[in-house]
Amino acid sequence: MNIAMKELLRRPSRFVSVGGALTLLVVLLVVLGGFLDGLELNQTGAYRAHEERLIAYSSNSERLAQRSSLDQTQAEQLAAVDGVAAVGALSYVGSTATISANEIVDIVLFGYDLATEVLPAPPADGGAVIDEALADQNGVDVGDTLLLGSTSEPVVVAAIVGDLSQGSPTVWLSTQRWREVLAVANPAALPPEGTSLLMIIEPAAGIGIGQLAINLDGIDVATVDDAVSALPVVQQQSSSFQGIIGVTFVVTLLVVALFFALITMERVALYAVLKALGARSRDLLTGISLQAVCVSLVAVAIGFTISVIFVSLLPADLPVRLVPTRMAQIAAGVVLTSLVGSLFTLRRILSIDPAKAIG
Amino acid sequence: MFVAFTEIRRSLGRFSLLISAVALLVLLLLFFQAVAGTLTSGLTGGLKSTSADVVVYDAQGRRNPLVSILSTSALDDVRNADGVVAAAPIGLGVFVGSFEGADLDMALVGIDPTGPSVPSTLSSGRLPAASGEALFSGSSFDDPVEIGERITVEGVTFVVVGTAPDAAFNVLPTWYVLFDDYVSVSQARAGAPIEVAPSMIGVQVADGADAGAVAQSLTASVDGIEALDRATAVDALPGVGQITQSFSILYLLLYIVVTIVTGVFFLILTVQKRTALVLFRAMGASSRDLVTMVLIQVVVVVGLGAVVGSSVTAGLLSLTSDTFGASLGAATTATTIAAIVALGLLASTGALRRVLAIDPVEATMNPGI
Repeated sequence: MNIAMKELLRRPSRFVSVGGALTLLVVLLVVLGGFLDGLELNQTGAYRAHEERLIAYSSNSERLAQRSSLDQTQAEQLAAVDGVAAVGALSYVGSTATISANEIVDIVLFGYDLATEVLPAPPADGGAVIDEALADQNGVDVGDTLLLGSTSEPVVVAAIVGDLSQGSPTVWLSTQRWREVLAVANPAALPPEGTSLLMIIEPAAGIGIGQLAINLDGIDVATVDDAVSALPVVQQQSSSFQGIIGVTFVVTLLVVALFFALITMERVALYAVLKALGARSRDLLTGISLQAVCVSLVAVAIGFTISVIFVSLLPADLPVRLVPTRMAQIAAGVVLTSLVGSLFTLRRILSIDPAKAIG
Repeated sequence: MFVAFTEIRRSLGRFSLLISAVALLVLLLLFFQAVAGTLTSGLTGGLKSTSADVVVYDAQGRRNPLVSILSTSALDDVRNADGVVAAAPIGLGVFVGSFEGADLDMALVGIDPTGPSVPSTLSSGRLPAASGEALFSGSSFDDPVEIGERITVEGVTFVVVGTAPDAAFNVLPTWYVLFDDYVSVSQARAGAPIEVAPSMIGVQVADGADAGAVAQSLTASVDGIEALDRATAVDALPGVGQITQSFSILYLLLYIVVTIVTGVFFLILTVQKRTALVLFRAMGASSRDLVTMVLIQVVVVVGLGAVVGSSVTAGLLSLTSDTFGASLGAATTATTIAAIVALGLLASTGALRRVLAIDPVEATMNPGI
């Protein structure tokens, strides 16, 4: 082990090539993970704004908001369930907002009733709550006026909340104001009077969402995580990107295995001498594994630095987000993969005969 | 050449590892390209295949067919504008239909079958001509629909009378129906006799006229609209730019990884067999012979990796066609393999420099202990 570390410290140039390849693979993995998280977070912000609430769908909707429709009677049934503090409507439609004379942006326009930890209560004066994605990318501030939809319905920004992107930045109005705007701007997308796409269920104080037992005909209730998981786009992206990340880890494994196989071949004579002097195969293998882990740790550190810089240079509208937990998973995965890759030399090391050291 | 192949045969483990790594990287590259191609064609097919030379949006619509809502007077204004031979309304909405006993998210396109608002090419059958008839087009993600099959949307039933290739909107199975039927479905969903305006207007320009110029003229002369020639409208569709940029970043990273991995492998290999190469040179082999040997190995290893990767990708895509709906294009595959081999050769520059630096006289020197 001592020799392995000394070699690493005294001849780092020997490991530059595998370190460079590993660093690039780390960058690739981080960017892939960034796309996976970015795509998911970018399309589920509105759901995440309702953590610690339940979301009600019509039972035939397969938990797809666009297929769901709930009416006032169903809202009253939900409100009558023990432990439910409040029930509010939630509907949305894709639209546009004119920020200034020449600046029009895509938005998702929500109508809602209930405040959450993230969303304030719907402004009673018809004002709008907007998210950071809209505010930051377009320089919108509280008090500014947005013109919504094709008929330029004016709404004044009352508050700005965190990024709740749902494919596009979001604008939140009270359900009443949302219906008024849609009735003029896009009547074809307006649900019939008294209905909404979804209902949000708020539990009473001291009652967790897991304690609510809601079994009503025609209504399907889901937690936010279940609602997000049910989105086909999330399912497909998640499975595709996880598969791709898995393949990239296999490539990492092959690269490390290849490099250490080559390095071991080069050192067969040296290892034979070490074995003749009393070193065990386990010691040699431990040294190689230690080198692999050290090289991978350096590659992870450099790769993360490059990735952060690289992602910060990408256009802001690309759905790439670096999430610490994902990066930690990638770091652990790369180190583990490198360790396993270095063990590919096991057979060759075991076959080294110490007698060869003396010719 | 003989030595190059013999070395590969005798060190099959090492070369197999590199071939596997290259094959996996090629698999990722081709997979990304196939999926990106399918996504893009599912997003753009509807506009790409339209018979309209110019597409007119609501000026507030940000060139997005799903949010554009034109005023009712816009159609007449466009029809009367200079350079316009014909104009037809196009309504576009996303609905939930009932098809073969299951709910299905679908795009419904309201068209005028006599105007420039229909797919320019049909695979089978004909355009809808009467109420209750529909033309179907899906992306590669969708199961095919045959003539005579029926779908019910908001209580209105449509029978398929024709199909068109690659004319889907929003990566959804798409039904083209008469504009009046589109209005009926929209009103049924709203539960009220609302006014349903066109999302877009398809415009046919005069023979020989420049569609871009007509589009500019329309935008300038008609209030509240933005007109684009077809190619510009396709490029401006939301999501297309993002998909192209996102996948381009991944392609770039993958190409760099292939280059570095190949380069590192052959560099280490060359350094390890330097003594043997010196001996070859001392025995009369020219630098060109040794360079040829390295290049042959690069082409064989990288080329084989690319071919294996392509084959595995084709197999995987055919097995997962329900999920990804993508298939491998011959041109894409050939271009990728050529690029990978070219990059592999480029990557071998480091190894080749070492080979060229070999001096045969070194064979007479004692390397020492």
